[in-house]
Amino acid sequence: MRYLLTVICFFSLVSVAPGAWTDFLQKEFPKTPWAERPRVEQNVCIDCHTSELIKEEYRAIPVEWRKSWHYKNGVSCQDCHGGDPKDAAKSMLPASGFVGVPKPKEVPKFCGKCHLGIMQNYLESGHGKALMTTGRGPNCLICHGDAHKIQKANIEIINEKLCGICHTYDRAREMKAALLLTEQQINKLDRDLKILKAGLMATQDEEKILFQTQAEYRTLFHSVDVKLVQARTAEFTKKLSVLQKQVQKGFEELAFRQNFAIFIILIFLGLGICIFLLSRKSS
Amino acid sequence: MRQLREWLEVRIGLDELTRSQLTEYRVPKDINIFYTLGIVAFVAYLFQALTGILLLFYYIPDDKDAFQSVQFIMNQAPYGWLFRLMHVVGSNLMVAVVALHMLSAFFLGSYKKPREITWVVGSLMLLTTLGFCLSGYLLPWSQLSFWATTVVTNIPTAFPLCGELICKILRGSENVSSATLNRFFAAHVAFLPPLLMTLFAVHVFLVRRIGISAPPAGREEEKKWEVFRHDDHPDGPPFYPDFVSKEAIMVTVYMVIMFTIIAFVPALFLPADATTPADPLNTPEHIRPEWYFLAPYAMLKLIPNRFLGIALQLVMVMVFILWPFIDKSEKYNIRKRPLLLATFFGVIIIWLGLTFWGSR
Repeated sequence: MRYLLTVICFFSLVSVAPGAWTDFLQKEFPKTPWAERPRVEQNVCIDCHTSELIKEEYRAIPVEWRKSWHYKNGVSCQDCHGGDPKDAAKSMLPASGFVGVPKPKEVPKFCGKCHLGIMQNYLESGHGKALMTTGRGPNCLICHGDAHKIQKANIEIINEKLCGICHTYDRAREMKAALLLTEQQINKLDRDLKILKAGLMATQDEEKILFQTQAEYRTLFHSVDVKLVQARTAEFTKKLSVLQKQVQKGFEELAFRQNFAIFIILIFLGLGICIFLLSRKSS
Repeated sequence: MRQLREWLEVRIGLDELTRSQLTEYRVPKDINIFYTLGIVAFVAYLFQALTGILLLFYYIPDDKDAFQSVQFIMNQAPYGWLFRLMHVVGSNLMVAVVALHMLSAFFLGSYKKPREITWVVGSLMLLTTLGFCLSGYLLPWSQLSFWATTVVTNIPTAFPLCGELICKILRGSENVSSATLNRFFAAHVAFLPPLLMTLFAVHVFLVRRIGISAPPAGREEEKKWEVFRHDDHPDGPPFYPDFVSKEAIMVTVYMVIMFTIIAFVPALFLPADATTPADPLNTPEHIRPEWYFLAPYAMLKLIPNRFLGIALQLVMVMVFILWPFIDKSEKYNIRKRPLLLATFFGVIIIWLGLTFWGSR
């Protein structure tokens, strides 16, 4: 019993000691947080917009936002509207940088706080110039829809119904055709990476490359310049092809893993059958 | 080979040892496949130990590197994916096998006099196995492991006075942190293995010392166990080759199940949150423990008072461990005890129901 207790005490000490030591070290050298953009679940904006204090028409905003692409990516109220989300008194003060509902002409600047490259290309495009000069061009919300409900953009945004509001669909159709192959390639890669991830392959690096390429590409087509898009499509196709090769290697590895596991299954099945037959023979 | 045999014969009396422990050692004549679950559990432990040692070659127990080191094992270390998946799938199968072993021991009445200590040691081994699972769960430092550990280590805080202290001892800091990872790692590789080995040695010693219990049918006529004797089965088949071959077949079945999961559903026990690095600032939408903890987890959700819920579970664990001392009936056959039989199946149905409810 004495020996057993000694052994248990020894292993307990071994298990506790490194933990305590690291705790001490942590106090001396505090660590930086891990997360890049945590999702915001609660702040004074949400508190107020879900309460009776506010007009009913504004109460749907937090619900819509929680279903949006922005919420999924950690974009919260103050990222677009500014203000102080921690202090109710200061939350909507201009001094806190608060901006309420932007005017149509101000929308590109509003979204461009994050989507900088896209804003620049848009402002140089026919769309942007029309908005800035006449105030009648389409801003981001016309194509992408209500900001609070915003979803991940896809090529289907370019359609006759939407583009037809302002002009004929001919040039837009040309643009869609120019984008289609690359967009399909991006979507396929996105799906393939998800399959690889589900198969427990590490895909973080490939996901980053795809995200960057997709972001660059989307920036480009906000120029609404078909010739420019066509000229640079080859460059993007090349990048995506390199990625496609890496993904293909991932699939080969996944297939190898499955085949190897099946091979081991067969070995054990064979072994089991042999033992069964031998045991019957001996009995 | 013959020379080695002769060498061993001179030194340890190999022939006599083989005869007494294998070929002339008799097992009960009606022995069934449920009796092989013990050896299957042993093989499962063995594979966990072997694959665990191999994983240690590359695993780094530090909050900054743990996740990346697991990713390295899965994607770059030669056959690292195989050993990690064997370890992950094996840990789940091991719990299932040990639980089945306990259930069959209960159903076959193998906990009754003189095997009370064997049952207690076996149930402690089940708890140690769950301890292995719990401590190992944090090690990949994924979203799932981080938040599941946060929830689990928060449970003791429901206890008055000592709750906070227990939580802090488990975590090594206020929140789950690098200190917690170090503690869980030390428990997983240094504290629990010798504990399990000790329990295993006692368990096997008791099984061999007392003898294997016969199935309940026909055991009613047995004479009362007043003085110690080895439970012999002179009319039964020999341990080797008859019973060993049964055990070997069951081990191959276990291996086939393990590799079928690895081949066709490798992510069965590794959902998306298990492949995302831990993020203490981002709580996942659904934090759920592993399947074997779902029933207690659901029970905690069901009982409004957290202290009451945990206290009730502790009482249930104590009842489970000490069951041989509670059930004093001399009837071995559970089929002749309708109340116990109904309770047995009732508990299993409630457990399965809670597991299903907890998974939603």
